[in-house]
Amino acid sequence: MDDARQRIVEAAYACVARRGVAKTTIEDVAREAGMSRATVYRAFPGGRDEVVNATVAWATLDFFGRLYERIQGAESLEEMMERGIMFAYRSIVEHEVLQRVMQTEPDKLLPILTVESNRIRDGIAAVLAPYLGQRGLAPGVDLEDAADFLARMILSYISAPGRWDLDDPDQVARLVRSELLAGVVDPAQTG
Amino acid sequence: MVPLGAAPPGGDSPHRVRIIDGTLACLARHGTNKTTVDDIARQSGVSRATVYRAFPGGRDEILGAVVDTEAARLFSALGVQLGTAGDLADALVAGIVEASVRLRDHAALHFLVEHEPGIVLGHLAFADSDRLLATASRFTAPFLARWMPPTEAERVAEWAARIVLSYAIAPSDRTDPCDPAQVRRLVTTFMLPGIDALHSAGAAPIDITPYHGSRRTPGGPVPAR
Repeated sequence: MDDARQRIVEAAYACVARRGVAKTTIEDVAREAGMSRATVYRAFPGGRDEVVNATVAWATLDFFGRLYERIQGAESLEEMMERGIMFAYRSIVEHEVLQRVMQTEPDKLLPILTVESNRIRDGIAAVLAPYLGQRGLAPGVDLEDAADFLARMILSYISAPGRWDLDDPDQVARLVRSELLAGVVDPAQTG
Repeated sequence: MVPLGAAPPGGDSPHRVRIIDGTLACLARHGTNKTTVDDIARQSGVSRATVYRAFPGGRDEILGAVVDTEAARLFSALGVQLGTAGDLADALVAGIVEASVRLRDHAALHFLVEHEPGIVLGHLAFADSDRLLATASRFTAPFLARWMPPTEAERVAEWAARIVLSYAIAPSDRTDPCDPAQVRRLVTTFMLPGIDALHSAGAAPIDITPYHGSRRTPGGPVPAR
């Protein structure tokens, strides 16, 4: 993302945080970014929709940046997943802008989020794959199948934890070792 | 969601099912916004007055009844599959396939996802998705309790519901959730070992955390532990 687009997206995020998606106009974003409307349209020819989509994508990327930091130095696949799941769940629950827009304007956000969740899932799979490869898979398990399945499940748990309390390290450890990894990793190697 | 099995007002009207099925046909063509009580009456082959006698609340009541009826139909079909399965693997495969096929072939659902995404997707995100998982697991867990303790059955039922929803929302080119052979591979590879691990003797007992709608108030304070 070039400088102008970056500034516009950050400005749009600030506007959405204050007033929601529906009330954020290109004028607002331009003013917040200290630019002219024409500059915003040059950077985002698709106008408001394109800016909003880019803002959600930027927020996702920001999330992954912090997630990478959080899992650095984990000494096992299990520890990496435990840290990642707890961090991701907390990030969603505590994400004030996400939660407010979900409550007040779900129609505006949900279609974008549905597209974005495919990228998030592929992102999670890409984070997992090297750890899975290093750890060794159960006989007959395909690496890409396993990464895709785990990414789907992780995305499901962090957005709707159901019966699992993802703030409790013991429960997360159990989740990782049962529903997530039990069939995936080589049982001959312990984590 | 209204508790399934609760007797609806006007439930004795012989026209209710006909009107609900007529509404489903309307929804599959026009969605909720453009479907009127007149459309529903015409499609169902009854008069407007008959529609209002069966559903005094009008359009909103009909739409609520459609959701409840479709959920009840899905769960009773699942009950048949799960109730007649010979073993746990068969039950999981049959249940996941049955639910996936019904979601795949649901014309009204597809129209709404395409044209009025907010209505459907709202049930698939965050707290509402939790409620959907809770309903699905409450209904299907008793069938799985033939093979495991009830508390584990609830977790496994919820897990199966997650799998169905994940592949329904985001289709995969690796696994077709409507293909019994592919689902069996998924169940035997990922689920059966996971279920064994859930109740392996050496592990700590599962602390079942009950559902509380308020437990994860969005943006609310971190629960004290």
